[in-house]
Order: sequence, then C-alpha cells, then structure tokens
Amino acid sequence: MNYRFQFGVVWDNLDELFAGALLTFQLGVFAFAGGALIGLVCASLKTYGPWPVRLLVNAYVVFITNTPALIQIYFLYFGLPEVGVRWSNEACLLIGLTLNAGAYLTLILRAGFLSVRVTEIEAGQTLGMSLVQQIRYIIVPHIAKSIYPALANFFIVVLVMGTSVGALIGVDELTGQAINLSSVNYRWLEYFTVVAGMYVVLTFIASIGLALLGRWAFRVKAKIF
Amino acid sequence: MAHLAVNDVRAKYGALEVLKGISFSIEKGEIAALVGPSGSGKSTVLRALMGLTPVTGGHVALAGDQLDYSNAKSVRAARDRMAIVFQQYNLFQNMTVMQNLTLAPLKIKRWPRAEVESEARRLLGLVGLGDKADAYSDQLSGGQQQRVALARALALKPQILLLDEVTSALDPELVNEVLDAVGKLAAEGMTMIIVSHEMAFVREVADKVIFMDGGQIVESGEPAALFDSPRTDRARDFFSKILRH
Repeated sequence: MNYRFQFGVVWDNLDELFAGALLTFQLGVFAFAGGALIGLVCASLKTYGPWPVRLLVNAYVVFITNTPALIQIYFLYFGLPEVGVRWSNEACLLIGLTLNAGAYLTLILRAGFLSVRVTEIEAGQTLGMSLVQQIRYIIVPHIAKSIYPALANFFIVVLVMGTSVGALIGVDELTGQAINLSSVNYRWLEYFTVVAGMYVVLTFIASIGLALLGRWAFRVKAKIF
Repeated sequence: MAHLAVNDVRAKYGALEVLKGISFSIEKGEIAALVGPSGSGKSTVLRALMGLTPVTGGHVALAGDQLDYSNAKSVRAARDRMAIVFQQYNLFQNMTVMQNLTLAPLKIKRWPRAEVESEARRLLGLVGLGDKADAYSDQLSGGQQQRVALARALALKPQILLLDEVTSALDPELVNEVLDAVGKLAAEGMTMIIVSHEMAFVREVADKVIFMDGGQIVESGEPAALFDSPRTDRARDFFSKILRH
C-alpha cells in the first residue's frame, strides 16, 4: 500500500466541518423535540382515544416505520414540488426527520403509558389527589423514568443516522460537508476518517449529557462507560 | 351514634354483584376485622368506602354526615377522613420515603412544611423506620415498604384507618414487624377496619369480627365468641379449617 495520507487539507477546512457538526446537532435536537411532541399526542390518542382516531394513528405509525427515512425525505423534496409544494432542502429534512421520529416515539411513549401502575394511581386517589396532581406527581415521573433509556438511545439514532440522510438532498450537515469538501480535492479517506471521529465525539458528548440528565432528573441508573 | 355506619351497601364489578347489602357500624376507637374466604368481598368493602369501587346502593354515614359516592365532593370528604393501606404497599416509587409521607399533606392539604416534616419523622419513628427517610422504596424490604405505607396513610391524620390484607404479600418473618406497628396504633386508640387472614392477631386487637361470604355478612360478634362458638354452619366450617393449626 503506497497511499500517502494528507490530512493537511482536512485541517484547513476544519471550520466548515465544525459548522456541519453544529447543523447536525441542531437538526437532531429539533427533529427529536418535534417528534417527541407528535409522539406524546399520538401515544395519548392511541392509548385513550376513540377507535377511528386510534386507527388513524396506527396508519401513520405503520406507514412511517415500514418505509425508509430516505424515501420519506425524497417524497418531500422531489415528490411534493410536482404538485406545487416547494420547501428548502433543510426544511424537507427537518420535517421528514420529525415525522419519522414522531412515529417511533409514539411507540416508545405508548409503552411508557401502559407501564404506569394502576395501584400507584389508586394510592394517589385515596390520598386525595386530583387528576392533574396524579399526572404531575405519579404518571409523568413514572413514564419518564421507565422509557428514558429508550428515549436516549433513539435520540442518538436520530442524531447520527437520521440527519446524515440530509447529505443526499444537499443539506450541509456533517456528512454533506464531508462529501462537498472531499469532492473538491478527492481526499475521501482523510475526510471520512475525521468525520467518523467527529460523529463518535458528538454522540459521546450527547450520551454523557443524557446519562447525567437521566441520573439527576429521573434516577435512571445509566452506565456512562 | 356510630362513628361510621354502613347500611345495606351494594357494589358491582360489571354485572357481578360483589357486595349484596352490607351493614355494620363502628364506634370511635373501635377496631373491626373483616374475615372470610377469598372473593367474599372483604377488600371490596374497603375499596367502596374509599370511593375506588363504585357503590351502587345503600348508605354510608361518617360522623353523622351522609356520604354520597356519586358526588365527587363527597368522595373527597371520604378520602379526607379515611385512609387505606393496600396489600401491595403502592408506594410512589419515584419518591423517597419522606416524599411519600409529605406529598399529600404539603400539596393537597397545604399544611406548613415544618409541621408536616416533623410529624412525618414522628410517624417513621413510630413504625421503626426513623433512619430510612431518604431511602427509595426499591431499597426497602417488603415489610419496611408496608410500614412506610402505614406511616403515609397516618400522615393525613385520618379518623379511620383501613388496612387491606397488609401482611398478605410479606414473607413470614416480616409479618410480625408490620403487625407490631399496627398493634401500636391499636394501643393508641386508632379507629380501624382491618381485612386480615392473621386470626391470632385479629383475636388480640379486634373489638368486633365480621365474617363475610359471597358478598354478604354471615355473622359478626366479639372475636372470642365468633372464633370459638360460631352460630352459623358456614362460619363454623370456615373457622374449623383455618384455626386448626
């Protein structure tokens, strides 16, 4: 093997990679937050709603979880303009990722809803708690604790796997930036080595942050290392 | 006038009538024990009194006030004056022992914090758990959790304490620590309705034993009289089976 590594060009463009990493992080956070909101509404409807609403939510979840995220985003970016709906590539990515995350988070949150112990709620009732107090002091803390690990894992999935799809519709997140830069000077190996390292660092920081938040807020015994 | 008067109370789970007209009364400071086979409706009586199982007929009067279980305000009044301890403890698992005890007095009753916390410490001392205030329920044994549940029920200063098979889920060696705590309350003059299979304990603390079967009261009386010389065949059959050892 006589390949000569030249990391110099990568270091010269490091600021653009950092800009990409920041966009990746922002997209991940916003898509997850929006998805969590959709998930919360849909999980409540799926658990407590009347059957036509449950059917609708099921259709959404089944459709999204059984098709690739790439197809969903291509549908928004290449498909919708045909009928006159034109959004920017970043908007398409964010909307696509949010709808995608919403379906998966519906399933995760619903598992949390179903795990609330009726007995604890009865104990709350007999102590004189109102419905709002039961939700605030018993149901929400319980759900948060029981599904926190699954939520944290899914955030990493959105952050890394979800956002990188954006490269294929020209969004300058981390993967997109790497493709742009390396196609100028053909240093693919160097760029993708560095970018892979940046993804690892990014998820590592997110994991530690999530583990600390979980321990502090919900007494989740998460292993950091 | 009786402190709690239950008159012809009925309750249903779906189409199945589980309480077919229950009547009994209890004076202040008295301890009544509900005994009988599984499925006889003992626990349902307590759940109905706390408004957890819908009451479909009859009357309940507490300290002279009629309780209407179809009325939310009346149910609140019932829960305000009575407290229940469950077989499975039902502690709030996301909270410490101290938070379990103080949540309702602070957030629902809005009593002053200093007073609530010192009362909570006194109660934890009473049930022998003075050193566990900061523990979470998953760090406690079943007997300890049940004693916390007992203290939590007492923190609201109920007039009547309802105990629903509080030792049935416990390992044999943990039963006595809970019964000791209940015995202390009995000695303090707490009014209680106890559902229990611990007949020796019932005989010792109860003023009145009510034997139930099939959603009805078959026979009631003082413990010694009922256990030793039951008048009905059903009661004689039941006690001869469980008091043999």
